[in-house]
Amino acid sequence: MKFHTNITTGKAMNRQAEKFYQMAAGMTRTLLWSFLGFSIILLSSDLLKAQMQIPAPEQDSPIALQGGTIHTISGGVIENGTVLFEDGVITAVGVNIEIPEGANVVDVNGKEIYPGLIDAYNQMGLYEIGAVNMTLDLNEQGLVNPNVMPEVAFNPESRHIGVARSNGVLVTVSSPAGGLVSGQSSALMMEGWSWEEMLIKSGTGLLVNWPSPGNEDDYEEGLQMLRNTFDAARAYKTARKAMDEGEAPRHDLDTRWESMIPVFEGERPVVVNANDLRQIQDAITWSEEEGLRLIILGGRDAHLVASHLVRNEIPVIVTSVLTSPSRSWEPYDGRYNLPAKLHDAGVTFAIAGGSSAAYANRLPYEAGAAAAYGLDYDEALRSVTLSPAEILGFDDRVGSIQAGKDATLMITTGNPLEYSTRIEQAFIQGRKVDMIDAHRFFYEKYREKVNQRAESR
Amino acid sequence: MISNLNISFQDMTKRNDKSKPVFKTGVNPYLFLLAFCFLFAGPLAAQQTAQTDGMKDNTPSVHALTGATVVTAPGQAISNATLVIRDGVIEAVGRNVNIPADARVWEMNGKTIYPGFIDTYSNAGMQDPQIELERGDLSWNPQLRAQLRAVSEYSPDEDGSENLRSQGFTTAMSVPPIGIFRGETAVFSLNAKPVTERVVQPSVAQSVSLGRSFELGFGYPNSAMGIIALIRQTLYDADWHLRAHQAYRTNPEGLERPESNAALAALESTVQGEQPMLFEARNEEEILRSLRIADEFGLDPWIRGSGHEYQILDILSEKNVPLILPLAFPDAPDVESPESALNQNLSTLRHWYFAPLNPAKLDDAGISFSFSTAGLDNTSQFLANLRKAVKHGLDSETALAALTTRPASLLGIEATHGSLQAGKAANLVVAEGDLFESEARILDVWVDGDRFQVNSPTEVDMSGEWEITSAGGNIDGTLNLNETRPGRYAGTVTIDGEEIDIASSSSRDQARRFRVDFPGEELGYDGMVRLTASLSGDELIGWAEIHGVGRFDWSGQRVSGPEEDEIRQVNVTPRDLDIALLRPSMEYGRTAVPEEPRAVLVRNATIWTMGPQGVLDGADLLVRDGLIEEVGFDLRAPRNAVVIDAEGKHVTPGLIDAHLHSGVSGVNEVGNAIVPEVRLGDVLHINNIWMYRQLAGGLTTAHVMHGSANPIGGQNQHIKMRWGAISDDLKFEGAPRTVKFALGENVKRVGTDRYPETRMGTREIMADRFRMARDYQARWQEWEQNREGIPPRKDLRMEALVDILNEDILVQSHSYRQDEILMLMRLAEEFDFRIKAFHHGVEAYKVAPELAEHGAGAVVWSDWGAFKIEAYDNTVYNARLLHEAGVKTSLHSDNSQIAARMNWEAAKMVRAGMDPEDALSLVTINTAELLGIDDKVGSLEPGKDGDFVIWNGDPLSTLTKAEQTWIDGRKYFDLEEDAALRDAVEHERSELIQLILKEQS
Repeated sequence: MKFHTNITTGKAMNRQAEKFYQMAAGMTRTLLWSFLGFSIILLSSDLLKAQMQIPAPEQDSPIALQGGTIHTISGGVIENGTVLFEDGVITAVGVNIEIPEGANVVDVNGKEIYPGLIDAYNQMGLYEIGAVNMTLDLNEQGLVNPNVMPEVAFNPESRHIGVARSNGVLVTVSSPAGGLVSGQSSALMMEGWSWEEMLIKSGTGLLVNWPSPGNEDDYEEGLQMLRNTFDAARAYKTARKAMDEGEAPRHDLDTRWESMIPVFEGERPVVVNANDLRQIQDAITWSEEEGLRLIILGGRDAHLVASHLVRNEIPVIVTSVLTSPSRSWEPYDGRYNLPAKLHDAGVTFAIAGGSSAAYANRLPYEAGAAAAYGLDYDEALRSVTLSPAEILGFDDRVGSIQAGKDATLMITTGNPLEYSTRIEQAFIQGRKVDMIDAHRFFYEKYREKVNQRAESR
Repeated sequence: MISNLNISFQDMTKRNDKSKPVFKTGVNPYLFLLAFCFLFAGPLAAQQTAQTDGMKDNTPSVHALTGATVVTAPGQAISNATLVIRDGVIEAVGRNVNIPADARVWEMNGKTIYPGFIDTYSNAGMQDPQIELERGDLSWNPQLRAQLRAVSEYSPDEDGSENLRSQGFTTAMSVPPIGIFRGETAVFSLNAKPVTERVVQPSVAQSVSLGRSFELGFGYPNSAMGIIALIRQTLYDADWHLRAHQAYRTNPEGLERPESNAALAALESTVQGEQPMLFEARNEEEILRSLRIADEFGLDPWIRGSGHEYQILDILSEKNVPLILPLAFPDAPDVESPESALNQNLSTLRHWYFAPLNPAKLDDAGISFSFSTAGLDNTSQFLANLRKAVKHGLDSETALAALTTRPASLLGIEATHGSLQAGKAANLVVAEGDLFESEARILDVWVDGDRFQVNSPTEVDMSGEWEITSAGGNIDGTLNLNETRPGRYAGTVTIDGEEIDIASSSSRDQARRFRVDFPGEELGYDGMVRLTASLSGDELIGWAEIHGVGRFDWSGQRVSGPEEDEIRQVNVTPRDLDIALLRPSMEYGRTAVPEEPRAVLVRNATIWTMGPQGVLDGADLLVRDGLIEEVGFDLRAPRNAVVIDAEGKHVTPGLIDAHLHSGVSGVNEVGNAIVPEVRLGDVLHINNIWMYRQLAGGLTTAHVMHGSANPIGGQNQHIKMRWGAISDDLKFEGAPRTVKFALGENVKRVGTDRYPETRMGTREIMADRFRMARDYQARWQEWEQNREGIPPRKDLRMEALVDILNEDILVQSHSYRQDEILMLMRLAEEFDFRIKAFHHGVEAYKVAPELAEHGAGAVVWSDWGAFKIEAYDNTVYNARLLHEAGVKTSLHSDNSQIAARMNWEAAKMVRAGMDPEDALSLVTINTAELLGIDDKVGSLEPGKDGDFVIWNGDPLSTLTKAEQTWIDGRKYFDLEEDAALRDAVEHERSELIQLILKEQS
């Protein structure tokens, strides 16, 4: 990988960089984010560091971001406010906050502060290069894998983490794929040395791919398999309970069905990937029959059954707003305005990206498109912050700027959904994130090549 | 009539005995079967070379058909007429015709006689074509089979003629069925004689298809555009073949002998315009493509259509070429459940609706056509579909003309075929009544004076009441029968006052046999009482069997019935919805391209000119006669100008996508590695909802590109998004030619046996072809100097390569890695030409200085990457760094959906740190420059095309959408019109779905 080989040539390159960046000597270095656009001038040591993308240490002293406009999501907008966080947790939000001794006070006057964006459905950490199979950990063998958990395969070195983070995506819900029951999804923060450190919540949902109704016989067969799977798991739970209560003889452990017990106990929702009208309708009746907590993932036709979703309190994770309708007669903006239609109907929803880890950085644009096509701007923002955290049950940790939650937030030049906005600095659990990512690294490196050529003329 | 039966059977066997010696050794079961339909065979009056073996057949072949209504030609009917046939030819027809003394007289009161139908595109005799040709001077390409002649390939075994006769056809043009150049058609008489006596016209037209036959292999060409390229090359080759052989024959000494190629030789008279070229066009676009080829080569085109012709009435009416129509109608789309209806798009629903209306629409537009059985799953659907077409508005005289006089004159057989006149071939259809406006059955078809029975006129119908008497009196009583379906009955038998339901009963037409079973319990017998009988007129001569009683004779006498069958009326649900013809024939289609106002003035907008004027606030844009006249302040509105108040809105040039693949029939010609002769412009199609959606996103121009399967792919096509125009009119006038190159993974992985398989080989094969092109050019230059000997062959592939080397075709190369980008620049420099732009260029930023130095542009994605290994080093700063390094840079979509939001693609570059105007240039003026069309589009400057977009805000904001999209000073998209169209689409879909449900109920 080029990242590693570059380290060896770093010295020579950095000499050149130093030469070029001499003119930057007089510039302020303390606030890296205070520069226009991307002309953040890197010192040679920064470039070297950039190559390494070293995770930040844990927060060791209080930080107060003072004077900015704070978009709390949960508690309105605070002008000229302060966010204070200690040991990775927000301790105070508001105006006239008392700043503890020894706090690092950062003046963010003229800036805006937002909670980190959350991608409610992604393959971050499990997907590196699409057509290189050995870099993918998505599809386990067989159709029914309720026990597989994504965090144990989460590669913290993935290039895509930094790229998405630079665009404000600070939390990912990573998910396996394929089969009928793909496995569990888990929420991770986009900073840390290992998945263990990064994990926010394991098992945020059990992913089910609803069978395709295209062919009626195949659909019948697929649904039969789905029902059989849940029947078997439920029977297992009953048998184990009976054993535990001494009412039945020994029943050996089944790893798959054991992992589904939280689903039957209502602790873990079933996230059903369903786009077609029939799939969504049938998933609703199925979840009622089975007594499960259902979340619809995809939800292309969800607006057609909105009242059922509202009545049954079933949330939708909308994937791909930035896409076109699947039927040629549908209006050209049929997908752009799906979130607005759901919102108007009273459906609880979140917006997720298009699942590819490489494109998680597009999440703000997905929500932005919804805002262009009828969704209230604040709702659009909520759909990639607090709503996904609430829907998937980790809003105690992230999703809004509120005392007691993780200090997972960012300083920006404006609304993070707007293209012209720059994410200047992110904090994840109070850790000040190194804002260099693979894309910027390549820019810096080859900008240096351009400079060298210009000089040798 | 029944009395004829015994004669004909005998005659038939004798005649075949004579022509088929094999028959002597035993009964050939196939011919035996054939004999049933071939009820009467006259002697062979024509001169024959075949020697008579066995007994000479001299059965008289003089017939007088009397009392029928004879439709001698469309619109000309003679009632109570007599038609005299002698030796296969009509001797006389009319009301006062004397019946010759030697004629067999056929009473035909109440019947209608039509001229025999002519199938203008048939597979008669072509069912089992030779697949692999192995002998002779064959063409290098197995799809080139022009040397095959239907007249030589006709296989009389199971040739389909019986099915054709059952639909009234007596003559057919058979078309060789496989390959691209398929061979020469011939007209056959659908009689049952040896092929030598069926041939009416041995040489009619050369047949060509715009599709290829997979049974002939998967090599080059395997795309729609490759097929057209091969057709084009073959036509040039046929011309060359002719001239080369002429030159060689004139003075062969010292000359290298030119190739002798049967297929090319067979095409000589076609390329000289002397023999028609019959194009098989499987949709309306293929008709347009065929007409373009015909125009290009001065051919005499005939078109076999597909049923979609109602979509191009204007073109067909203008071109006036012979048109052959199939009568195959699509099944109703699946709307069984509301969910399945949800998934039916309007183009499918509309075609279901319009297909049966197609002939009437053409006729109404004054377009002449002939009918054929082509495209039918089963020939026996023909008459039913014909009647549907008539019921849906086709004039029945036109229908008859399209089956008789028109094809006869098209095929050059009008002197002998197409009407019932003295001297013409005795080809006729005898029907119960009006064949076109009722469900009248065809009774007989006469071909060359031979009668073939199609349906029996004396079909047994036992319906009615019968009185039964038996020898022992066991079953004396009455029998009441109702025909449930032909030859099957329900009813009762009443004996001794007991009315008993019969268990089963049937009759046979030709054997005249009848059978009935009924339970005997009520009469005191065990089990079934079983009666059979032979029918003679109204009498039954029967015997019966009763379990436990025995067998005995019985007789039956008809008391009443059957009732005369009425000829059924054609029962078709009317298609009388108020649905306009649209172009394209789908959702959001138009009845016409938008009007062009004399002038358009957009006032008070923020105008991003993308030219020297920069961004102007509160400015006006004036477009006159489709061109930009001025951008400035307080412009005066010309008279009759459309004035748009755009206060608070932004105006930009129409967006341009440098790399798109939608709206074409296939994008890759993978058959060969180097294929610059193929052209995307040959295969544009308009049935493309993406175009409408892209317009809705402000896109006005696109560069439609060949795929990336070839180191040197095909020629691309610049288009404007003129939604509502025909495909030809989408082409961007005056745009330079460009070609697609491709490097890296995609060209390597096409196949295991296609060169190249490495990036190294990619360079080598390109270099090799460039050298070939140089040699080709040199050879032509030498020829031009002395013009002696055999002329060089015009090779379109080489010519395209020469044009590439001369920069007459601009190179747009797919690329990912820096090494391959560098390689191609150096290779081009070695051959002294420049690469215009590298597309995708995921690693272009790594060689930005080299690109700038070479003068190549970069056309990149905003943020695609990591989908394969060569895309792993992507960066969203690619465009920015290239721009900073002085490389002319553009964005592209390479994706139909993303092409609908190129403004947002540009906006991503603002987040990457680019200045907003620079960012917008990536989808406007820079793109235009790299595509060589910046003299016409890309900026709002006087003299350029009136292509602009009105946005409801900053075009680079996430909150902005396009409100209006204008091209050439015409408004192609309007958000308000779109809202109305949505309702119209919904309404039309709903109406069509209801009509299907009505028709199915």
